[in-house]
Amino acid sequence: MTPAYPQPGVDLDNARFIIAWRERGRLVLQRCRGCGAMIFYPRTMCPGCWSPDLAWVEASGRGVVVSYALVHRPNHESFNGEVPIILAEIALAEGPMMIARIIANNPATIRTGLSVKLVSDVGRYPLPTFTT
Amino acid sequence: MGAGSSTVGITGCGHSIYLKKSDRTLFSFLAEAARDALASAGLTRDDIDGLAVCSFELPPDNAVTLGEQFGLSLSWAYLGTAGGAGPVASVANSIRAVESGQAKAVLCIAGDNYDVSGHYRLMDRFNKALINYGVPHGFGGANGLFAMIQRKHMETYGTTRAQLGRLAVDMRANARANPAALLHGAMSLDDYLDARVIADPLRLFDCVLPCQGAEAVVVTTLDRAPPGKGVRALAARERHNHPVGELTPLRGGWELFRDALYADAGMGPADMQFVQAYDDYPIMVAIQLEDLGFCPKGEVGRLFDANSFTWQGSLPVNTGGGQLSCGQSGAGGGMIGLVEAVRQLRHEGGERQIANVSRGLVSGYGMVGYGHGLSTSAIILERLP
Repeated sequence: MTPAYPQPGVDLDNARFIIAWRERGRLVLQRCRGCGAMIFYPRTMCPGCWSPDLAWVEASGRGVVVSYALVHRPNHESFNGEVPIILAEIALAEGPMMIARIIANNPATIRTGLSVKLVSDVGRYPLPTFTT
Repeated sequence: MGAGSSTVGITGCGHSIYLKKSDRTLFSFLAEAARDALASAGLTRDDIDGLAVCSFELPPDNAVTLGEQFGLSLSWAYLGTAGGAGPVASVANSIRAVESGQAKAVLCIAGDNYDVSGHYRLMDRFNKALINYGVPHGFGGANGLFAMIQRKHMETYGTTRAQLGRLAVDMRANARANPAALLHGAMSLDDYLDARVIADPLRLFDCVLPCQGAEAVVVTTLDRAPPGKGVRALAARERHNHPVGELTPLRGGWELFRDALYADAGMGPADMQFVQAYDDYPIMVAIQLEDLGFCPKGEVGRLFDANSFTWQGSLPVNTGGGQLSCGQSGAGGGMIGLVEAVRQLRHEGGERQIANVSRGLVSGYGMVGYGHGLSTSAIILERLP
């Protein structure tokens, strides 16, 4: 039996992000009420202006591939049957950059500049995961 | 550190054996390197009153409890926090500690005891951002992140794997003149290009072999150096978390301090007789050479085409073979280049000694955060006349 994926830690700074994905399959981001910056990954204060006044906003779940790796030697055995893992730097439509996995039947179709969107199966992957 | 010191410098260097796997403790590797460095400096344990250590596996121990293990009474203790950039920074800070009278002689050690699976475990608990937002994606440890950086460099500037391979092949040639290297089999460019894929575009010989080992130097007043064996620092700098907010940048921070570094040293990149660059991946050596002014940003492919990097080459890089051929002893990977530099400047390079060498550059890099190494450092060293 394949072991479960490693799971992110959940704390008061990131719970909204983790739970929105886990329970609703949605991506939520922080928006700074001080300077307006959109923020990923979740922080306890805005890394741009240090305001602690952060709101959560639902993102479109769309982005563009900036760079990517096809990982044949994953860090955890739960991924061994799914190689290559497509790991990508994604420019989210809302601005922030995110490192995330892309699911694709044929990894050779992945290209820099490709548009991606969130996968639709809720609860399967530990973190927001994309597809083409 | 800024400008260097005319009175305090490096008076000894040493290393432990490197092993792929054994039951030996981390302390035993740190101790072996420490004894070797003390002997090289002509000092004894009682002369040491400062200790700087860089090691990922040291916690729950630290610089002070390592002092207890080693029976040292210390007036100054320093624990590196900058990963592979830490050891170069630790030496710069040790020089200042001796200059300011906080210690008379500092032992600087860096090392770890890893094997391949141990290194993946390290990366799975490296910091909160990676634990929460990288590990659950199957990110592949540092290899997955640096594969994205290399692809971006290739697509942005046209850098090719064959160009990066020229560096890897020459570094392996250097290792073949280093009996301490774990990997010293002959490697051709085709061997490099055709190796097994680890994280495309990275293949096997782009990646370090995690291993066990340690490196050490002694920092004290240069008048205590054995005759002809003193090495002084002309300049040193460090920078952390630059560029803020970028995940896979094609620059590291060296470019921010490079002009000040060379100005403090009173010389430029063309005056460097070797570069010992942090080589977790060939692409990071490439980025260091760009950021440190050996060519304009994006033109490192042409630099690679036009130069050779062996100890006899036009631009000697990692003259002992680097981590890519010697093995990466965790944080020791941030000191292996420094020890090789001191060895070359003491004219103790053996079979791979650069003729009449008197100065060179050592560069550090490390502390992978959410996407890339957050820390950079560099030091310019010169043999005492």
